[in-house]
Amino acid sequence: MRTFLILTVDGVTNGFVYAIIALALVMIWRATRVINYAQGAMGMFTTYATLFAISHGVTYWLAFVIALGGGFLLGAGIERLVVRPVESRPPLNVVILTLGLLILLEALAPMLFGGQVKSFPAPFSRIDLSIGTTQLYISTFDIFVIGAVILTMITLLLFFQRTTIGLRMRAAAFGPEIARLLGVRVGRMLTLGWGLAALLGAMAGVLIAPAIFLYPNNMDEILVFGFTGAVLGGLDSPVGAVVGALLVGLGLSYVGGYAGSDLETIGGLVILIAVLMVRPQGLFAARRQREA
Amino acid sequence: MLEVIDLTVAYGGVVALDSVSLTVAEGMITTVLGANGAGKTTLVRTISGLVKARRGRVRVAGTDLTGRAPEAIARLGVAHVPEGHGIISEITVDENLRLGGLWRRDRADQRLAIDEAYELFPPLLARRHLPAASLSGGERQMLSVARALAARPRVLLLDEPSLGLHATVLAQIMDRLRTLTRERRLAVLLIEQNARSALSVADDAVVLSLGRVVARDRATQLAGDDALRHAYLGF
Amino acid sequence: MHMSRSTLLRHAVLFLLLAVVLLAGTYTLSAFWNYNLAEIAIFVIAAAGLTVLTGINGQLSLGHGALMAVGAYTTSLLLKEQPQLPFLLTVLASIVSTGLAGGIIGVAAARLRGPYLAGATLALAVGLPQLAIHFGSVLGGNQGLNVAPPAAPAVLGGDFPEERWLAWIAIVAAMITLFLLANLVRGGAGRTLRAVHDNEVAARLAGIDVARVQVLAFMISAACAGLAGSLFAYWVGITAPTGFGLQLSLQLLSAIVIGGLGSLWGAVWGSTILVLLPVWTNGLTSNLNLSSDITNNLPLAVYGAVLVFAMLVLPRGIQGTVTSLSGGARQWFLKRRLDQRTAEVEL
Repeated sequence: MRTFLILTVDGVTNGFVYAIIALALVMIWRATRVINYAQGAMGMFTTYATLFAISHGVTYWLAFVIALGGGFLLGAGIERLVVRPVESRPPLNVVILTLGLLILLEALAPMLFGGQVKSFPAPFSRIDLSIGTTQLYISTFDIFVIGAVILTMITLLLFFQRTTIGLRMRAAAFGPEIARLLGVRVGRMLTLGWGLAALLGAMAGVLIAPAIFLYPNNMDEILVFGFTGAVLGGLDSPVGAVVGALLVGLGLSYVGGYAGSDLETIGGLVILIAVLMVRPQGLFAARRQREA
Repeated sequence: MLEVIDLTVAYGGVVALDSVSLTVAEGMITTVLGANGAGKTTLVRTISGLVKARRGRVRVAGTDLTGRAPEAIARLGVAHVPEGHGIISEITVDENLRLGGLWRRDRADQRLAIDEAYELFPPLLARRHLPAASLSGGERQMLSVARALAARPRVLLLDEPSLGLHATVLAQIMDRLRTLTRERRLAVLLIEQNARSALSVADDAVVLSLGRVVARDRATQLAGDDALRHAYLGF
Repeated sequence: MHMSRSTLLRHAVLFLLLAVVLLAGTYTLSAFWNYNLAEIAIFVIAAAGLTVLTGINGQLSLGHGALMAVGAYTTSLLLKEQPQLPFLLTVLASIVSTGLAGGIIGVAAARLRGPYLAGATLALAVGLPQLAIHFGSVLGGNQGLNVAPPAAPAVLGGDFPEERWLAWIAIVAAMITLFLLANLVRGGAGRTLRAVHDNEVAARLAGIDVARVQVLAFMISAACAGLAGSLFAYWVGITAPTGFGLQLSLQLLSAIVIGGLGSLWGAVWGSTILVLLPVWTNGLTSNLNLSSDITNNLPLAVYGAVLVFAMLVLPRGIQGTVTSLSGGARQWFLKRRLDQRTAEVEL
């Protein structure tokens, strides 16, 4: 029972981090029909920059905000300069483009910041809490992570559903040509979308770094798990992304705990294949499929 | 008010429009008729900026639209209701309506325009918070037109509004269209394959064939010209 | 598969000639360059297989590095148990085992399209190498399994250099693979693969068993990856999980797109760039006195930048650009001749 609880808490906490990446991927997918394979690497890069700031005296919280802002700028900049010209070309080209960005960022980071594994500070204690003599298997930092992610999701929901700019972004994603005819600057909305997605990636990077440390490839697995979660949930559904990511987090945790940590990813793969064989378009796929 | 001057459009090697010129004055409805592939849809798509012209100019109240991005043209007061409804099914009816006028600065008037749209098309009011996907064909067409009007355009481009519509609903919409055009001094370009219905509501008519203007007259004159009707309009 | 005999012959002659030229060329190259030549040839095999799957059949695979791993580990395991096994046998075993693995993956992935397929193969790429760690006692864990390089046959002389023999094996294997795939692609099978890619619904209506085609495409490309993996094991000398990570899969995919998607020649260009670019970058930096962080990562940074740049500037890849340029040139020449003729007539 005790193991189960520990694994569950671990799985949920990790799952929420995968969920941010999954949401970022879904956001970009819905708007541009592109999977940004560099999403994790972009987050890693901003995390390096954040650590740089912290090590030069900036407080954690200010650095956190800088990370989000920097991530936003990075994403928006990449969309405008590099992705926009390629958007209308064959889809595989965009895949290679984002893979190129992935490779480039993972090589630039150690060149700029040094390649050895670094530790990253956590703003709260990572020791498991206990009430009296009962162990709770969850730390303050874990609660912070889960809280931050939930808060972000609610903010995103309100942003997209209640603001005019959110409406514009949804319109630009669902019907770009029609949106154009209605005066929506679709190009700008796409840039904004990439910026937001990168902001989410930056958040993921900073939140996961204390646990897995900071090194150039540290977000590779997070990307894979986030992508798996998004695919599991159905790429067009933000709710699916979150649910899928949580399932992946839990699944990996249980497999790792009960079967062995090196079987984790294979376990995730099996879960993914099992779901996709039954529902090839993901769990929450809409009945009416948009063309990819 | 809407001037199309010597417009030529080509896709690859195929010429879709060949030196097409026409004018639509304020408060008037001009219908563009012709068979499938005559270039009617290309014409409106070029005016609204979705397609780039090889030669020629498009002007609205003197302002040159040629070569501008579609969103810029929309913000200059040109509303294009595309073939096949062109609503965004994943958002609600109300959101579709709001979308049309979002770029306008007058917030109060935006809301007023939407309320007027609901008055024009009451069935939409009942469904305002439902996803647009739940609307029937006729209601979608209503939404499309309502949304275009909610932006308070000066020029209205309607591409085959009769497609898939029940005759009564079509008559309703066409009737309202005529009133609105006069009231709001709109310049309306109406693309139609259903020539009979179009000629009954329009003031002027232009007939396209293989990308060229082959006839141009008052709608009543054209409706009475049997030879022309047989040759180009199929009735 | 109605393959005209003349095309078959043409291909055979072409690849035979190429093989002879390259084999002769190895005598003029240093050990270092023969080693690189071997690596290029190995990647050509894997890339050509991936071209058939992704370029022609349209199934995106981000996991071919894992398939190469299957081939490599098959060979390494067999050699571990029976070090005296003939080289041809281990290679053949790898082709079969990886082909079967490809078949299993193909069946599991038959209904997946686009990013869903990408996601599944991505998970495969990251997860499969971990099996080597889990079954560490058999598969060597992180340290991996050692593989002795194949000895050149006695008939070539006792002092036949090791890298030259490796290069010869790789070149011959690559030529045979290209020959087989070129014929596959030109013939009816190629048309079927393309048909399914272009329009699945239409293909089904035409009576094509789409699922079967998808699985077969996977098996063929997997067999190529298995062959490449087996040769790779001999080439590297150690088969360990780190050699077959996500990066390898990404490198293969990017190679075929840069080279020219859907073209076997593209696979050749892409593999060449894949191998030579880091060599060239390293050559540049070795003269400068740079920190190890920079020298270790610069080749990759350059490769990433080249990918980004290539997608911006050469959307059809190298082979695609060559084709369109030569097509454009031909048109220009024809037009010139036509204009000249017209001028003559008017005179």
